Amino acid sequence: MLEITLQIFRYKTGESPHYDTFTVQVAESASVLDALDVVWAKHDHSLTYRRACHHSACGVCALRINGLEKLPCVTPVSSVWDGHTPLRLNPLRNFPVVSDLIVDVTGLFQRLSASDLEITRDAEPTLPLSVDNLADLGTRMEPEPVEPPENLTRFNRFESCIECGICMSACPTVAADDKFLGPAGLAAIYDERHKTGDPREVAHLLALADGEHGVWRCHSAYECTEACPQAVDPAGKIMALRRELIANRLKKGRRK
Amino acid sequence: MSIPHIIVIGAGSTGSATAHDLALRGLRVTLIERGDIASGTTGRTHCLLHSGGRYCVNDPEAAAECIVENRIIRNIIPDLLELNDGLFVALTEADLAFKERFLEGCATCHIPARELPITHALEIEPFLNRGALAAVQVPDAVFEPVRFCLAFLATAQQHGAVVRRFTEVTDFLYAGGCVSGVKVKDHRTGKTENIGADLIINAAGPWVGSVAAMAGISVPVKPTAGVMVTLDGRLNNMVLNRLSPPSDGDIVVPQRATSIIGTTSWEVEDPDVIPAPADHVAKMLAQGEQLLPAVQKIPVRARVAAARPLIVKGDKEAREASRTFECFDHQDDGVEGFVTIAGGKMTTARAMAERVSDLVCKKLGVAVACRTRNVPLVSYRLFYQGGSYA
Repeated sequence: MLEITLQIFRYKTGESPHYDTFTVQVAESASVLDALDVVWAKHDHSLTYRRACHHSACGVCALRINGLEKLPCVTPVSSVWDGHTPLRLNPLRNFPVVSDLIVDVTGLFQRLSASDLEITRDAEPTLPLSVDNLADLGTRMEPEPVEPPENLTRFNRFESCIECGICMSACPTVAADDKFLGPAGLAAIYDERHKTGDPREVAHLLALADGEHGVWRCHSAYECTEACPQAVDPAGKIMALRRELIANRLKKGRRK
Repeated sequence: MSIPHIIVIGAGSTGSATAHDLALRGLRVTLIERGDIASGTTGRTHCLLHSGGRYCVNDPEAAAECIVENRIIRNIIPDLLELNDGLFVALTEADLAFKERFLEGCATCHIPARELPITHALEIEPFLNRGALAAVQVPDAVFEPVRFCLAFLATAQQHGAVVRRFTEVTDFLYAGGCVSGVKVKDHRTGKTENIGADLIINAAGPWVGSVAAMAGISVPVKPTAGVMVTLDGRLNNMVLNRLSPPSDGDIVVPQRATSIIGTTSWEVEDPDVIPAPADHVAKMLAQGEQLLPAVQKIPVRARVAAARPLIVKGDKEAREASRTFECFDHQDDGVEGFVTIAGGKMTTARAMAERVSDLVCKKLGVAVACRTRNVPLVSYRLFYQGGSYA
């Protein structure tokens, strides 16, 4: 067992914000969310925090651990705790704090709704093989695309983005421009743009990206890409949208 | 008569689907949840939209419910599913001997099933054990538990339902021997208040027992935990099941870039905190490795345990308990205005909602039929824009 001390940001409507300190025992393999669950269950039922899947599928538990945005469900205590300094937990930045570790994520979902990105995508030819050294198990390293049976003409996948809000919290531009579409919103525009071939939809999406609160506001800090727990690479997608917008302008220029 | 007001306790899959069902019938609904949406068992389910194949031999009633609901869910939330089907795979001669019973079971329960040539299965699943002997394809699918609930709730909000998160029921209120409301504490503000209702539905999953106990009632639900191990890599396109009677570690559900191995079964007293036992985790990895030998090469991303709300009567072992569901009208226990819905699977949440809503409408003399089979749900993203922080 590990004995770990957590210093948790507390705030209730009408009261002054402060930190509360709790010491709990958890298994060696426990995640930071496991430790929070113990605080809530055994020490303080008034602690409010968000949790659901506990395995990085839902994105709701995102917060800051010692200042850095993380999903506590897949952050092992052993990876962030030095053994004595209390682990400091704060809500995400750039969202209104509701209570304790909960923030109001409405703004994130409004931005994601702008592009209307569906959370599933089709036509994955096979598995995203990123695993090394599998050859000795008799499995093929890079299987050729297979001909799936009749009704299995394609594989379908959830998008990588789990809508956790970590990129919004890490982004310096969101802090300065509250209408900025933000890393998740712009990455969704990029993904949706690459799902459609309809010229009108493409024009609509590119116009969104090109707007006053679009890709040009990004300071290229790449904090979003650094913090994203799902390797969505919002900054890379923002740069790709900029390249497409510039290329379109050059083409228009040539036609004149 | 004014429109009846129903309080639903618990925003897991059952409570969320129930709020939607009642709101669609035109009733006033308040859903009360002590934590966040799907913060209990629902959030930690295996993400499997059951075809019913797992239960078709040992628990045909639950299997039949699953395939009916599987088809309905595909229609009402098609955007929230990974639709890649599932395979039941035989690895041993004993598994192979089970195949005929499995195919018969699927036929009896009307679950579409077909055997794939094993070479074909191995082509689709490059990481599947190369020694696999047989593979049967069934319409399993993968969902996202939180967004599943949010879609039901966003739709319910559009029909006037109110969702109160982080609000805990601390006691029942009574009037003339009848439950007339609840006392709640909002953990966001620390404030308490009373909320009146014409009827209260207990949809608290493995916590239905502790909710009912506040009214002095016991319900035959045993919180029965299971462990899931999520790998930091995706090894299968389709859901992979062991072609055998239900047992520990008989399934690997893929989702996004992960594969999730499950599960085990043991009774727990307190479903609030269930650490995943190290020996169960080791067993999952060992069992998963039989289906997918590469399991040992992939880092573990998460170890999760959650309690199922199994209805257990008599001396049955939890693994043998039916996965079907049941509605309890506590009028039979001498308490009017209070019902419990329990048991079931997340796959059958809509059917559970229909069952309890039918009972509630009958009790209140409301003659409106259930419409949830055919009404598509709105985008889950609208939930957060529906004033849920107000």
